Amino acid sequence: MSGREGGDEPTWGAMEVLRRGWAASPELREGALGTVLLGMAGAVGRIVVPILLQVSIDHGLDTATGTADVGLIARFAAIAAVVIVVSAACSRAAIVRLSTRSEHALFGLRTRAFGHIHRLSLAHHAEERRGRLVARVTSDIETLSQFFSWGGISWLINGSLMVAVIVTMAVYDWRLTIVVLLTTSPLVIVLKLLQRRLVVAYTTVRERVAEMLVGTSEVVMGAAAIRAYGVEERATSRVEEAIERQSEAQQRASRLAALLFPSGEVFSVLTVSIVITLGVWQGPASGLTAGALIGFVFLVYRFLEPIAEFTEILDQTQTAVAGWRRVLAVLDTPIEIDDPVEGQDLAPGPPSIEVEHVSFAYRPRAGQGAAEVASALIDVTFRIEPATSVAVVGATGSGKTTLAKLLTRLSDPTSGVVRVGGIDLREVSFASLRSRLVMVPQEAFLFNTTVLDNVRFGRPRATDDEVRLAFVELGLEVWLDALADGINTAVGERGEHLSAGERQLVALARAYVANPSCLVLDEATSSVDPGTEARLARALESLARGRTSVTIAHRLSTAARADQILVFDRGRLVEQGAHADLIARGGVYAGLHASWLDATAVDGVDAAGSGVGGGSTSARPTPVTAS
Amino acid sequence: MSAEEAPPPARLGTLSRAGRVIVVHVRLHPAIFWIAVSGAAVFALATVASSWVLKWVTDNVILPRFNDGHVTAGMVVAGAAAIVAVGLVRSIGVVVRRTGAGALQFRTGATWRSRVIDQYQAQPLSWHAEHPTGELLAHADADVNASTDILGPTPYSVGVVILLVVSTLWLLATDWVLGGIAVLLFPLLSLLNVVYQRRVNAPAELTQVHLGAVSALVHESFDGVGVVKALGAEDHERDRLAVRAATLRDTKIRVAVLRATFETALDAVPALANVLLVVLGSWRVSSGDLTIGGLTSVVYLFTLLIWPLRMIGYLLGDAPRAVAGDGRLQAVLADPVPPRPSASVRVAPTGLGLSLSHVDFSYEPGREVLHDVTFNVPSGATMAVVGATGGGKTSLFLLAAGLMQPASGEIAVGPGTTALVFQEPFLFAEPIRDNVALGLAVSDDEVWDALAIAQADDFVRELPGGLDTEVGERGVTLSGGQRQRIALARALVRRPALLLLDDATSSLDPTTEARILNGLGGYLMGVTTLVVATRPSTIALADEVVFLDRGRIVGQGSHAELQGRFPAYGRLVDAYARDRADR
Repeated sequence: MSGREGGDEPTWGAMEVLRRGWAASPELREGALGTVLLGMAGAVGRIVVPILLQVSIDHGLDTATGTADVGLIARFAAIAAVVIVVSAACSRAAIVRLSTRSEHALFGLRTRAFGHIHRLSLAHHAEERRGRLVARVTSDIETLSQFFSWGGISWLINGSLMVAVIVTMAVYDWRLTIVVLLTTSPLVIVLKLLQRRLVVAYTTVRERVAEMLVGTSEVVMGAAAIRAYGVEERATSRVEEAIERQSEAQQRASRLAALLFPSGEVFSVLTVSIVITLGVWQGPASGLTAGALIGFVFLVYRFLEPIAEFTEILDQTQTAVAGWRRVLAVLDTPIEIDDPVEGQDLAPGPPSIEVEHVSFAYRPRAGQGAAEVASALIDVTFRIEPATSVAVVGATGSGKTTLAKLLTRLSDPTSGVVRVGGIDLREVSFASLRSRLVMVPQEAFLFNTTVLDNVRFGRPRATDDEVRLAFVELGLEVWLDALADGINTAVGERGEHLSAGERQLVALARAYVANPSCLVLDEATSSVDPGTEARLARALESLARGRTSVTIAHRLSTAARADQILVFDRGRLVEQGAHADLIARGGVYAGLHASWLDATAVDGVDAAGSGVGGGSTSARPTPVTAS
Repeated sequence: MSAEEAPPPARLGTLSRAGRVIVVHVRLHPAIFWIAVSGAAVFALATVASSWVLKWVTDNVILPRFNDGHVTAGMVVAGAAAIVAVGLVRSIGVVVRRTGAGALQFRTGATWRSRVIDQYQAQPLSWHAEHPTGELLAHADADVNASTDILGPTPYSVGVVILLVVSTLWLLATDWVLGGIAVLLFPLLSLLNVVYQRRVNAPAELTQVHLGAVSALVHESFDGVGVVKALGAEDHERDRLAVRAATLRDTKIRVAVLRATFETALDAVPALANVLLVVLGSWRVSSGDLTIGGLTSVVYLFTLLIWPLRMIGYLLGDAPRAVAGDGRLQAVLADPVPPRPSASVRVAPTGLGLSLSHVDFSYEPGREVLHDVTFNVPSGATMAVVGATGGGKTSLFLLAAGLMQPASGEIAVGPGTTALVFQEPFLFAEPIRDNVALGLAVSDDEVWDALAIAQADDFVRELPGGLDTEVGERGVTLSGGQRQRIALARALVRRPALLLLDDATSSLDPTTEARILNGLGGYLMGVTTLVVATRPSTIALADEVVFLDRGRIVGQGSHAELQGRFPAYGRLVDAYARDRADR
């Protein structure tokens, strides 16, 4: 899921990414020079055997008579053995340092990116972007980790090895060294061509695998539909086709990859035969020795040994750079709603809320002109007295939810000001704001843990007894005790073990332990069974008592119970007042109310007659029934 | 998901089981396997030959030139040509082996995948209900990969065995002392490789588990960003991530340190062995038992054998994964296929569109979902089913459609096609036309007619590709209401005699729903309809209502009758009414 889909990606080149990445991770910089030096020292051990062979042939063996100075050779061998062991230790230290430092750097990068993403405004967290945000902190960092533990080490070790080989060859004979470099250089072009084709081939494989998975998931997730319409054979042949295409793409890629080793091999043997021919032709006159020529043969093979890995490493490096670019770009995304410097604290007790000439427009999306973005709120002004309850009503898209976001500073108004307790929200410190003013969102999101831990989310230091007390105070004791493990019941992923209404109950308890002085509540629209509905209504009332509360009401029965009702229509505050007054006025609210009564009526049967405002299921009768 | 759930290291039992897995796979495509193995054999022989060529070139070309200054041009050309020729043969061997191994691995994978799909298709819906989606997808993807990945290095490993045997003979022939020492080192190096794989596999698997834990937390935390912000819990979340990310980091570092130790040891040990060979070799040269060319070629061949020896370690390291993956794969393929539930559906007597008598049903023993359900729907009538969530409505519909088997009792439907439309419609990643027709030979006009009755013709006409518009995976490019209407058209185009609508219009507004239900009668002459009703307006369209409560039929009759007789029924309908009020 990583990359390519976003239009918001920077176009930094690889060097720019490295520069920025280097700057962003101090853990990576620390001791980097030492790591490189250790890597170079580690490479020496890998060319010891050719050198030992050369020294032994040239100094310890009489090539004409076949006699040997075994003692001298044994002394050479002892030195060689020490060098091998010491350089192996250096090599190990280099790898350990690189892996450890990079993992610490990636840990820092991961947690920073995660924290930064959480501080981005809700607009960045829109549903369609969520997958990408998750990828920034998971798969993108993972490509970097893969790179540092394979590709990065390979660059370090093999790069050092190639340098060491070239230096040794040049010491033996610089002319032959140039010949080696010239004859092997076309291999770079061959490998680049091969790599480009391999990238295409592997991309095709990934696409084919995805198609096969789509087909398989249709067979699995569409099992009911397939059986209901008896189209098993049709679905099977579609998947079979995808399976076949996947297998063909995989075989094609493996045929291409099969050419990697041979291309290295062909260049090796060509170079070796040229080196031997030229070396023999040149003869001892130029200072070349038999041992050095034999050493050359070994060194040429060593030189081209890393080639087999080359394309893989290159591919991995490109992927890692792309991943790094995306992570760094996220860290560069400015935070719009930020904690004010030297922010003020809200005074204790329920605050007043003043909204003055507030307008709000959502930012245009990519490809959308500013003119196409309708304002969500237009010049809204009202005041809420401390410790009173207010309900906000209006049709979908009237700006209710936007208002809730502005009141809790999940967004800032485009113009105008929101004051809580007389202070501009933008000047209230986050710590004070989030503890004193709590929002209960529409969809009660629960974490995959127990009821207790979910409630404690509102105040991490709350004791078990305090959490239990919250349920008691909200009148939910009976419900809580009926759960399988009471307060320790696991709620499952996203709270799936509980019904939507029950999740709301937990969310209310969570808000209760947070003990805010002001509450903003976005009422759920999802269907709730009558029993839970009654509990919710009671719990809400207990929760709002003694606090300033604003409820985004989706049920008119909720609105009817509030001290004051704000009616919104297409971004404007059109009516304001108590339920009875608004009904009497015969305006927008009265209209909403009337159409609601209609919708609840069965043709010919008056279902609404049994009580609109909750009727037989609600805790108490409401004025609506009387009207 | 326990963090300690890494697979056990390879044991002898695992290895022999891995061997059996390979044999079963190879029997599917034996010819390809033998082609790949012959490539590996050519590679092995050419590798030993290259060492022989180096000996010959050293003794007959290089040394004479540097000793007495003379060597004929013919000898030089012959030596150079031999080196290139052997290199080319070696390359051809590699291409044949790798191509063959790829074909073997991926064709075998494809064979198992299609067997898995056949099994899924053969199993009834109840079987699917028992198996989580993720698990079934994993069998077709990850498990097949785990089981067949081991085929990739298999021909190479056979080649390595040939290489080791031939090398041993050649080394002993060159010099029995030097050759003997080299041969003794083979098992030592293999052992080191095996120990490496065993030590590193478990923690490496563990990093995957920890990575999964990090991903799960990130997913959840970003999904719950609203709550996190509303409660100012950003720092709390960051700390939560830091704990898991630190565990992941530390496991990765542990693996990296293990790898660093073994990788450098696996480089250093053969190098040290080579140093030993040089010393011993020079002693053998001085005693006249070995030429310098012979010494060079032994050192050279030993260098070439290091990598193949490591491959054996990889193969053995992969064995537990292959055995585990294959075990899961074979287990799912071995599940017996019960007879189709639709076979037990009888033909209803004339005049009845649907009839259930004394039907009991449960997904698992002891938890009955439907109990003694009996009711009849006359041909051409519309029956509404009303009941609370979890009351057994969907099970009732699955039984009527012949997708589930009742534990006891009898289900009968009138002659003709039955079509079931689900609340959660499933669309295929195909054009709209194909999604409606689903393989049925119908004209575009018929598709349009069905779409019109389903109130879907207007929006389909406005789509850029009309009927040819691809709807994406599971129909993601359409809204829920649009998907429901396409699914409805799919049922209608079949002109069913019995139409089962399981809350199939839940995402539509009441007006659209009413238009659809009103249009049905004219389109499908004499259709019998069973519909889940969650709206007073839907109930109003039905001839009769059955009230289902906790798996039992509580009452059957007109809406007014039921409302009079059952207060619970009235409450439920009221709750629906309230709930829908502002949608």
